[in-house]
Amino acid sequence: MAVATGGGYLERPRPSGLADVIDVILDKGLVIDAYVRVSLIGIEILTIDARIVIASVDTYLRFAEAVNRLDIAQSDDSQGLPELMESMTEGGSKSKTKGALEGAKEKLGIGDDDEDEDTGDKDDGEKEERRTRRRSSRSSKSDDE
Amino acid sequence: MTADQPGTAVYVYGIVPAAETIEVESPGVGEAGGGVRSVVQGAIAALVSDVEAGPLAAARGLRGHWGVLEEAVSKTTVLPVRFGTVLESETVLVEEYLGARHDQLAAQLEELAGKVQLTVKGFYDEERLLRGVVERSPAVARLSQGVRGKPEAATYYDRIRLGELVAGEVEQAREGDAALVLGRLEPLALAARREPPSTRDGAVHAAFLVERGRIDEFSRAVSELAAEVEGRMQLRYLGPLPPYSFTEEESVAWA
Repeated sequence: MAVATGGGYLERPRPSGLADVIDVILDKGLVIDAYVRVSLIGIEILTIDARIVIASVDTYLRFAEAVNRLDIAQSDDSQGLPELMESMTEGGSKSKTKGALEGAKEKLGIGDDDEDEDTGDKDDGEKEERRTRRRSSRSSKSDDE
Repeated sequence: MTADQPGTAVYVYGIVPAAETIEVESPGVGEAGGGVRSVVQGAIAALVSDVEAGPLAAARGLRGHWGVLEEAVSKTTVLPVRFGTVLESETVLVEEYLGARHDQLAAQLEELAGKVQLTVKGFYDEERLLRGVVERSPAVARLSQGVRGKPEAATYYDRIRLGELVAGEVEQAREGDAALVLGRLEPLALAARREPPSTRDGAVHAAFLVERGRIDEFSRAVSELAAEVEGRMQLRYLGPLPPYSFTEEESVAWA
């Protein structure tokens, strides 16, 4: 098998954590004809397919939010952030879908080690909030527009 | 051999060459004690577990499924079967699948013998990527300025438009980086497939079919590439994996 000579960064393929391969496991592989197949395991798997549903509009909105966070970080204006965070957590069915998706992922027990993919938006949000708090306590007087 | 038992079903992990039948130690998806066994038919064998008919726990199922395939690929050539495939009985497995598809599956196994899949995924530092987009695109900068600090309802469509523009720019970056990665690594592989990145910060997702004897050489090339793009894009290098991206899918439409 793969033997590294230098032992350095990426010298050999990593043993694959479940989170790294979740997509191939769920989406690929031989499909045995439906009429001889009894079942696919569990309904949770269907929930995971929700990731396709949330792709378009939700992705656009999240890109928009992320770009705005850049602006906010650059200027000293910490005003827009709470509103944006709020708008991201509201918004009806799409955030419900996301909730279900994360729930399913928790149930599957993935995202346990150092996976960027699965630490998700919650962490980003928290980090961002901390940063904002620090900033606003430093420049204690922020003028409201 | 095993008579079909009422109340039980057969969970299928993958197809291996019968000539290289392997002992799988991973526990698999079933209840404790069941283990993984092979069902041989001609030149091919299915790795299976006996399970109770009825839904399995997804968490254990997924780990168990992957554990078996990961072990199998370390020992032999394996065609992975889609996660969650349960057949009524061993008889059904043999007659309706292994028997019915024997030649086709055997041919695929032969073709993939001695080869593994290595996967390279690239991820962007999102903040850095987006800063670049704002700097490059006046339209993005203008829209971004326009929606900032305004209430959600008033800027809903502007924000969608903004995000759409950004997504377009990100897509362009992905195209460029995919070309870079494939251009560098494809010559060292027997085949390459580009897969869609699965996360928002995903830049590239490419699967390579590599001879086992050339894994080290391939690894060195990945390592060099990683050093080259460091800071802009982070590479992850996975494998050896079952040849997921190089296993022919059955042409079965399932609802």
